[in-house]
Amino acid sequence: MIILEKQTEKKNLYQRISQDEFSVNKIKTSSMLSLNQFMEAEKRIKSKNLKVGIFLNSDQSLDCLKDKLELFSIIQINFKSFKDGRPFTMAKELRKLHLYNGEVRASGHILPDQFVFLLRCGFDNVEIDGKEKKEWIELYNMDEGLYYQP
Amino acid sequence: MYKYSEKDKKIIAGRVKQFRNQVQRRLNGKISEEEFKPLRLMNGLYLQLHAYMLRVAIPYGELSSRQLRKLAEIADKYDRGYGHFTTRQNIQFNWPKLPDVPDILEELSKVEMHAIQTSGNCIRNISADHLAGLTNDEVEDPRPWCEIIRKWSTFHPEFSFLPRKFKIAITGCENDRAAILVHDIGLKLIKKGSRIGFQVFVGGGQGRTPYIAKKINDFLLKKDLLNYLEAILTTYNQLGRRDNIYKARIKILVNQLGVEKFKELVDESFKKLSDKKLELNETTIQKIFKFFELPNIKHCNEKISISSNQKFNNWIKQNTIPHKILGNSIVLISLKSENRPPGDANSMQMYKLANIADKFSFGEIRVTHEQNLVLPHVKNSEIYEVWNELDKLELATPNIDLITDTICCPGMDYCALATARSIPISQQISNFFKDYGDQKKMGNIKIKISGCINACGHHHVGNIGILGLDRNGKEFYQITLGGSSKQDASIGQIVGPSFSSENLIIAIKKILQTYQKNKSSDKDDFMTVFRRIGIEEFKKNLYDNTGKTN
Repeated sequence: MIILEKQTEKKNLYQRISQDEFSVNKIKTSSMLSLNQFMEAEKRIKSKNLKVGIFLNSDQSLDCLKDKLELFSIIQINFKSFKDGRPFTMAKELRKLHLYNGEVRASGHILPDQFVFLLRCGFDNVEIDGKEKKEWIELYNMDEGLYYQP
Repeated sequence: MYKYSEKDKKIIAGRVKQFRNQVQRRLNGKISEEEFKPLRLMNGLYLQLHAYMLRVAIPYGELSSRQLRKLAEIADKYDRGYGHFTTRQNIQFNWPKLPDVPDILEELSKVEMHAIQTSGNCIRNISADHLAGLTNDEVEDPRPWCEIIRKWSTFHPEFSFLPRKFKIAITGCENDRAAILVHDIGLKLIKKGSRIGFQVFVGGGQGRTPYIAKKINDFLLKKDLLNYLEAILTTYNQLGRRDNIYKARIKILVNQLGVEKFKELVDESFKKLSDKKLELNETTIQKIFKFFELPNIKHCNEKISISSNQKFNNWIKQNTIPHKILGNSIVLISLKSENRPPGDANSMQMYKLANIADKFSFGEIRVTHEQNLVLPHVKNSEIYEVWNELDKLELATPNIDLITDTICCPGMDYCALATARSIPISQQISNFFKDYGDQKKMGNIKIKISGCINACGHHHVGNIGILGLDRNGKEFYQITLGGSSKQDASIGQIVGPSFSSENLIIAIKKILQTYQKNKSSDKDDFMTVFRRIGIEEFKKNLYDNTGKTN
């Protein structure tokens, strides 16, 4: 998998931790935690003044995290299906309502045709299969930057 | 009429290019049918029973003669020489081939038309009163507002993957001709003191679970329209159900939360997320309104002269309405003749109608949600000539609002979802009640026919609604009574066991007898009588006399 930010491939600085290997003491700034892992580790993250990544699925709500966003350097929202449009609203609310200015990443079942929509709602980059990179860039370049919405 | 700006043109052209790429990827096998489906649906392309179907938007029902000619040309070149006008002011072509569709879209773009968001789980074509701007009973013309919403909703980055489809309709007057109360959002322009704003209704719809929309805002300021719509859509996008396609429409959410709770969430989102940049200022609004000014219509005292031709006189009585400019008329063209499916027009009719519009109606045509067409501005002095031309094209059936002016979905003749045919039922009705005098005696009455519970033929809001069902491989028809899509909207009530197609006409006849018998004056229309006597009286006469007709 690669990280694509507009046309540029970016290094992935975060690792997810499987439940078997998970231990609160092992958490680093490069950890990408699930919601459950985060809740278990929240105290330590705060006491150590860490900033971590959080990995949410498109059917998980941001509501329980809205007062803790300063603990995250990245929020990754994973589409269960490209048809599930909730992450578009999640990204908008992160940016416009919660004024979150860390990184927001989309992953999971997403289509290159959604790239520009994702960026416009507040996502910074996408995690995709390296084989699809050309297609994603091609569709990104097809966008002429003309929109009806502000 | 609205004219595309350079930006509009570029956006539409960009879309054609993008769709060409998507079709290519599908044809090369790079994307699966499952992945292609929402992409093609956002361009109005369905896969039907026998072939693809392309649904082209006619925003707020307005067409120029040039656009109508292009539709005729497409019907000839890529289809089988006809098109079907729908209940949401679209036109459908039933036989295009997938590799041709990008070319069709490119041709449409040349006349400022498209198929964007005519299907799929996004905000659909915005529909309006087909008499917008033409009558005196209007608070304000809804078309400019439709155009403002059309722009805002086109390729909206947040709302292109909603839980389900989303339909918005607008009316500018109390007399609702746009069926706003059976839309996901219905907007009504109203006057409060000297100010004009919107009443906002939400959660109406038909399908398996019909609901009448509920009011959530009594007076929305014009400047806030887009921010408020955005708040409704944000709430729906987050909370609408995605686990069950039949429970995914906003009407289900509104009813599960309760309208008060839903309103509270919308108000909160509106308060917190309103964007200054989405606020509409007077200059922007006026710029759009400029496009919709009336053409240079002459005011005069000319009346329509009575003719010795009874056919013409009937047509004048039934199919014309006085225009707000004295000496002119609005002509309604019925697409409900005996010989064609409701809403169908062939390419020859479309070409010739475009010529008639050029000669007599400033090159303008409208499409109604009741699947008819309109010539909006015809001089009274030329109306006989117009009738004569329309009559030659079999477009002068005098039946607007009468029993044979049925609304009907394509049914099992075309649609993969249908459980029964609906077109033959509508044709049976047209044949049976073809005499104008007989129809006139029955007064205004709406029969609406759907070929399945998805209710594309609006049977829930038919004064008489007919729903086609499959019973062990046989077509049966359930009748509902008392539905209305007007300002007094109501959902029809099921009258009882369903009827075979042979017995259906007998049943309708008996229903009409009950109505006739219970009229207290000649002015009583079907709905007045129904609301006075209730369904039981109809049931009694229907089943007592026929026994078990099913």
